[in-house]
Parts: sequence; structure tokens; C-alpha cells
Amino acid sequence: MSEGLLRTTLPDRAGAALRDTFLQQALTIATTKFIDLRRESFEGFPQGEALRDRARAIKEATLQHLDVHLERLADNVERLGGTVHWAATAEEAREIVLRLARDRGVRMAVKSKSMATEEIDLNEALEHAGVTPVETDLGEYIIQLAHEKPSHIIAPAIHKTKGQVAELFSRELGGRFEADPEVLTAVARRALRQKFLEADMGITGANFAVADTGTVVLVTNEGNGRMVTSLPRIHVALMGIEKVIPSMSDLVVFLDILARSATGQKLSSYTTLVRGPRRAGELEGPEEFHLILLDNGRARQIASTLREALYCLRCGACLNVCPVYRQIGGHAYGYTYPGPIGILLTAMLKGNESVRELAHASSLCGACKDVCPVRIDIPRMLVELREHLDREKIAPWSERVVFHAFRRLLLSPAAFRLSARAGRWLQRPFVRAGRLRGLPLLLGRWTRTRDLPPVAARTFRELWKELR
Amino acid sequence: MAGRAEFLERIRREVAKTPGLFGASTAPRPPRPAAAAEAIRRELAERWPQALDRFRQEFERVAGVFHRVPDLAAVPDTIAAIARERGARRLVTWDPAILGFDAGARLAADGCAVVTARAGQEDEASRLRHRADAAAAQLGVTGADLVLAETGTLILLSGAGRPRSTSLLPDVHVAVFGRDRLLESLEQVGVMLEDLHVDPDAAMSGAMINFITGPSRTADIELTLTRGVHGPKEVHAVFVEAP
Amino acid sequence: MAAPVRASLMITCLGDVFFPEVGVAMVRLLRGLGVEVDFPEGQTCCGLPLFNSGYHHDAALVAARTVELFERAEHVVVPSGSCAWMVKTEYPGLLKHDPARRAAAESLARRTRELSQFLVEVLGVTRLDARFEGKVTYHDSCHLLRGLGESAAPRALLRGVPGVELVELPGADQCCGFGGSFSVRLPEVSSAILDKKLASVEATGARCLVACDAGCLMQMGGGLSRRGSSVKAIHLAQVLAGEGPR
Repeated sequence: MSEGLLRTTLPDRAGAALRDTFLQQALTIATTKFIDLRRESFEGFPQGEALRDRARAIKEATLQHLDVHLERLADNVERLGGTVHWAATAEEAREIVLRLARDRGVRMAVKSKSMATEEIDLNEALEHAGVTPVETDLGEYIIQLAHEKPSHIIAPAIHKTKGQVAELFSRELGGRFEADPEVLTAVARRALRQKFLEADMGITGANFAVADTGTVVLVTNEGNGRMVTSLPRIHVALMGIEKVIPSMSDLVVFLDILARSATGQKLSSYTTLVRGPRRAGELEGPEEFHLILLDNGRARQIASTLREALYCLRCGACLNVCPVYRQIGGHAYGYTYPGPIGILLTAMLKGNESVRELAHASSLCGACKDVCPVRIDIPRMLVELREHLDREKIAPWSERVVFHAFRRLLLSPAAFRLSARAGRWLQRPFVRAGRLRGLPLLLGRWTRTRDLPPVAARTFRELWKELR
Repeated sequence: MAGRAEFLERIRREVAKTPGLFGASTAPRPPRPAAAAEAIRRELAERWPQALDRFRQEFERVAGVFHRVPDLAAVPDTIAAIARERGARRLVTWDPAILGFDAGARLAADGCAVVTARAGQEDEASRLRHRADAAAAQLGVTGADLVLAETGTLILLSGAGRPRSTSLLPDVHVAVFGRDRLLESLEQVGVMLEDLHVDPDAAMSGAMINFITGPSRTADIELTLTRGVHGPKEVHAVFVEAP
Repeated sequence: MAAPVRASLMITCLGDVFFPEVGVAMVRLLRGLGVEVDFPEGQTCCGLPLFNSGYHHDAALVAARTVELFERAEHVVVPSGSCAWMVKTEYPGLLKHDPARRAAAESLARRTRELSQFLVEVLGVTRLDARFEGKVTYHDSCHLLRGLGESAAPRALLRGVPGVELVELPGADQCCGFGGSFSVRLPEVSSAILDKKLASVEATGARCLVACDAGCLMQMGGGLSRRGSSVKAIHLAQVLAGEGPR
């Protein structure tokens, strides 16, 4: 089932988010907190800047031989007794999981947080096939019960109040629970503990996969990543191809900056290195380990202007500092991945048409680039994306006409001077107390909430005659 | 369905189209990991007191509870005290042969039930029994294979006699270690990991390595920090002084 | 006696049409510092609006023309971080297919500076003669701060004006919501971002909000005047020339 393009418009979705008072409060509190945590963490970490450079270099170097590293990873996973699957598309990836579930008699699967599984709409497919997927990351569990999508890459339920969560748990789990995060966490712990112990299959993503050793790495805080990879008899890890890194020496570079960028922690509570299914001497662990390597539009970016977006560690730091994300939250972006990097990932996975509006959901302020642990130049790529929208004629005809006309104006000082004079004349009905208000058409979008200075009685170039 | 060859070929074609954005290299691997690991151990043999201080500071910063005992013989008493304080009556531990001590008798004296994982018992019945025991236990006792001072992290290898769930299912996790486990930096951890994987099947009997930095935590509800979501609510580290 | 410094003004499209008083203040300021000022008359705009919206072919045409217009300038001074950024970082890339033009663009990039950078780096200004009474607060515009790495020069210059009490704006480095066409493509979001910014500004108790970019001043000034705020948004050049807001 391929996701069609959205039927709602970005301005409408953004407007709804702006009118949602709780969301506005939640976004301010959460993003501010994450920003402060990250800043404190890097302030006490002088080697941080050099590490960001090294991390970026490792990602770039890995891409330059991506096929070689993936091949080595696959060989090592298979040597350990794991199985590697190659999913060119979202549909293929879903098929692989469904087939495994069917063949192994899986009735219930516990899932550790994975954006890749969201990207391919795995839960819906599992449910249709009669397999119950249970999200175990607390935030994901909450939104699963609420039948919603995540609104932030690392804190999926940021948009919900504790009251809403209490109500939700009370309704879905039966009981009357206080709106107290401690109480609600304990409720989730109890409910999900049973699921971990009973599940037939554990599904995870992968933060990294080490080619040298065949190790899949999960970075989590709750412990569900460990549960899901140790208790059920089958472990399936779904991983975008860009997550492979060559060695353990590379891994520790990323571990050094990932948690700091995401939550300000030096390391998350758990970093789990999974090397295939359980070994002969182990009492615990899955009998089977499956690694699904997912392309879904990634390979095509290797030689494109969006190449750098493949470095992304999914830390969420760019979301937290983005003035647009901070106002509208994740759902308004409309696709799986929100925020600055989300716009690039959406273009990557769904094509340029999908970001016709989203490519402009940015003031190009550059705060994202400032905090990205792998220094992805997101603003530059957004401008390149906009260039594609013009070149491929995806941008609306009316807009392209206006900009081409504007260019003509800028190439002719006479025309420029003339339009200033025309503006001075046309603006007269709209000038109030030295300001422009109530302008029509496009400029009305400005004057609805802001004044504009009027075209000056004499432009600088006109004044220059006296100044020279 | 994409086959491996086709999948990799598509990537190869894309990679061939471009030299990339800039000249870059990956992190250097130690050319002789065993020697590099040994060198680190020698350095830490000198610097362990500072590393321990740093570990304690960072461990407590992530809400870990630190204990120090003179020798292995003193460990069971410490565990018994923690169990009593936390009202834990059922414990699960790694194989005493791996831990270097057997807390069974001491805890039984307090009326606690102790289940231990023994290397060599990996039949299906043992598996099911151990799972049930671990799930019912309130306190789990493990060793720590590497202890990272920089971040307050305990690194545990899974394997025979050292199950994964001991440090995961119970509400309280107690890890016991000595000076020879201490490391200062993540970079050193990288060298140790390289060394472990030169011949991983010889070096490790299990398939999982867990880095544990404090208790299980989440802030998913209104960004309010709570502990013990799925993993332990509390982590204790017991340092044994005697080398 | 050393030859005087000669500076050519790149006044910017917004500066020319909406904020000529900023240009006048700049001329007064620079002449007061012994700089010979000229104004290449055929200039219109640096092309940033075209570039940011993805119209790169069009932006390249504007860039080529601008490079030619300023080819004999010794120093080019711009009262705008975003326009200075455009010339310094993007012009060479836009003209990369024509080696001669590209070289000319690189030369222009080296000779071009935003106003505060010119004052501090080229003229070594630390104190100014002008006087300006009152509490001011400073907003870091995105292209000056992140594009050109400049946050110190404007603040140092403000502190060098007798009578100025510079109070730091919390979140000074946060975007004001202008973003060029963003301000009319997503006007509600742009205004919401602006509201946050203005709340911080008003909380400082400053009489004036200072910035180095006409776009930011249009956005923030437009918001302040719509709210009937007593805070005035003015350009750094005006403070340094001892001129109050209009």
C-alpha cells in the first residue's frame, strides 16, 4: 500500500497546530528542555566539535563504499547464523516480515521504537495479516493506543498531556489511573512486561550495524530494546542501508555524540550490541535473527544533492531548534519524518512532488545545521530542493511567473526605479500613520498580522544625489 | 523480491556515479588490537584509583548507587543488605563461578530464594524455568566485564552462566566488579571491542553486549523523568578492592 | 599620509526602497570615520530572494551583473547580513560555469563586508563619537550570525556608543520568522514565531531593538508597530550615527 500524497495543505495543518493551545505549550516546554540539555552537555565537552567532524567524515567515507560495507555486514550476519533480507521497497520489507510471521506462526510481535517500521507502515500490515504488533516504547505505546502517529522523532507522544494519557490508559486497559507520570509508567511496565514474555517475535530498528562484526546496535533508554531482542524466539531488525558503519572503532565515535545530541545524556541508559541469534551456550535470546536491509529510495540519493541527508542519525536535535517545528509540531508536516531533516527524508523517500509545500516550511535560519551531530547542511539542501521544484516545474506556474518577472526587474535599474515610483503611487490608499496596512492579495498575508513600512518618499538612490 | 546481487548492484552503480562530497576516512582500527588492549590494561593498572573516583561520580550522576567492599567474601553481606532494604525476597544471579562468590547461603539465611544460572544447563526445560525465575525475581546480581568511568557505564557480555535477563527483568540490578575492569574513555572501550571481536566466538560465549548507564528511564509523558519503565528501577555497583 | 579608505555602498533592494534613512545614516557614519563613500548607481538587489526560492538560473544572472557593477570597488559595505552572505558565499558557486566570472565573484566576495564587520575588521572601530540615550537590545539575524559567524562586532560597536545601555535579548539567536518569502508563504507560522520574539524583546524593557538586516527589521518592526508597542526597531547604522528611530 503506497502512501499517496496528502490531501490537506500545509498552511491548513500548520494553522490547526497553531490553534492547539496544549500543543503549543508542550512544544515550547519540550523543545526548550531538549535544547538546554544538549547545550549543557556540549558545553562540558570540549572534544565535541572535533567528534562531530569525525562522525561526519565516517558517514561520508562509508557512503563512498556503501556496497562493500553492506556486503561485509551481510556475510558476517550470515556467518553468525542470522538471515539477511534485501528489501528494495517498503512493500518488499512488509512482505518479508509478514512471510516470516506467517511461516513461524507468529501471533503477537513486540516492537522497540523504529522510525523505519513507521516509514513502511508495518503495524497496519501486520494487523491486516492477523498479527498483533505491540509498541513497547512508552511514547509509541501511548500513540498506538490512541491510534495516532508519532509527532517527534525521539519523544513520540510529546503532544499528549498526562491527563490525556491517564484517560487513554483507563479506557484501553480498564481501570482508573491518576494523571501522574510515575503511576502511568508503572501501569505501562506491568502491561507490557506480560507482552514481552509472551511475544513470538521482537521487531526493532537499528541505530547502527557494524560491518566488521555483523553487530546490530540499539540505543535506548527504557529497556524495551533489550527485552525485545532477548525474550521472543525471533528477532527481526529493519534497517535503512545508510546505517551501516565499518568498525567498532567507528561505533564509539557515534556513541560519544548521539545521546548528547538527542537528550543531553552522555550515553543513553542502554546501548545494546546484538551479534546474531543466541549462541549455543546461552539460556536466553532468540533462536532466529533476521536483518532486513531497506533501500526504499535511499540508494538513489547517493549521487544526488540529498546525499548528506543519508548521514542522519535520527537524533531529533534539528527538530528541537527549528523555529517552524517548534511552532507546528510533527503532525503538521504530514509524513513519517518531521522537522528539518524530515523534509529532506520525505523528498528522498517519496519524491520531490511530495515536498512541494514542505520545501518552504523553513525560514532557512540555519539553527538545524548548528546542532546536527554530523553537520548536515540542511538549509543548503532545502534551497537545492526548491531549485528542483522550479526545474521540474513542480512549483506552481503562477509563482514561477512572478519570480521570473522579478528577475527582469532586478536586471534593469530603470525598471526597478519605475516600480518603486509605481509602488509609491499604488500604496497611497493603504497608508495609515506612516505604515502600510490592509494590503490586498499576496501582501495581504503580511499585513493581516504585521505593518509594512511604506515605499519611502525618496529612495536612497534618489537621496544619493544630495549626499554625493 | 530483490535478490542480494541486484540490490548491491544498484548501490554500486550509484556509488560509481560520484566521488562523494569530500575526501574522508573512517576511524582508524588498532592494527594489533590484542596489544592495544593489553597496553590499556597496563595503564589502568596504574590509574585505577582515579578511574574509580570518576566512575563513582558519573554513576551517581545517573542515579546509580555505589558500594565499596574490601574483598569478595564481603560481597554477599552487601547484597543481603541491599535485598533487605529493598524488600527483595527472590534473587537471581549469574553463575557463582563467574562472579567469584556465591551469595546463596548468606541470602538463604535471610529467608531469600536465590536462583543461579549455571553454565552448561541450556536445555529447553532449563530455559523455561530460568525465564520464569528471572521474571519473578526482585533483584539480579551480575558481574561487569568492563566499567567505563567517563559515563558511569557497566558493560556486560551475555553468555553461558551470564544470562541477559539478570540485569534486565528484576527491579534492582547489582553489578560486582574489581579494578581490572575499569576503563577511562569510550575510545578505550572501542579498542576493547575491537580486541573482543578478533576471535569473537573464543572471547565471548554469548551474542549480546549490553552497556548499562543507570536505571531504565523515560520522559515520554510530559517530559517528566520516571525510572524503571521496562528495565530495573535501580542499579547498584559494588566495587571489590582486593585485586 | 595614508590614502583614505574607499567604500562602495551596496544598499540592498529593501534598504533602497523602504529604509533609505539607514543608507543615509551609513554614509554619515562612514564619512565621519574618514571613509570615502561612493554608490554604484546601477545596483538593484543581490538576488537572494531568487536564490532562496530556488530560481538559481535567475539569481546567477543578477549575480553576474552585480559582480560587474562592483568590480572596481576597493571595499563593498552592505547594511545587511543576508546580502553580504549571498555575495560572499553563494556568488562564486552561482557563476562556477564561467571561469572569468567566477574569479570576479571570488574577488568581490573577498572585498565585501557587512557593515559591522567592515567597521571592526577594516577600520578597527571600538568607540564612536555619536551619542544615543537609552536601553537597546540586539537581535542576531540568522545570516549574519550563522552564515558569516558574526555576533561580537555589532555588540562591541553598540557598547562603544556613549549613552547606550545594551541589554542582552534572551533568545537573540532565534529566528524572527522573516525568512524572505517564507513570511508570506506561511504567514501564520511566521507571525507565531514573530510573537515569541517580540515577547522576549518587550520583556527586556529596551527602548530600541537593533538589528543588521532589513528583512528582520521589516518583520520585527512591522510586528511592534501593529501591537502599538513603544519599542522601536532600528538598524545598527542609525544607532552608531547617533540617530533615533523615525
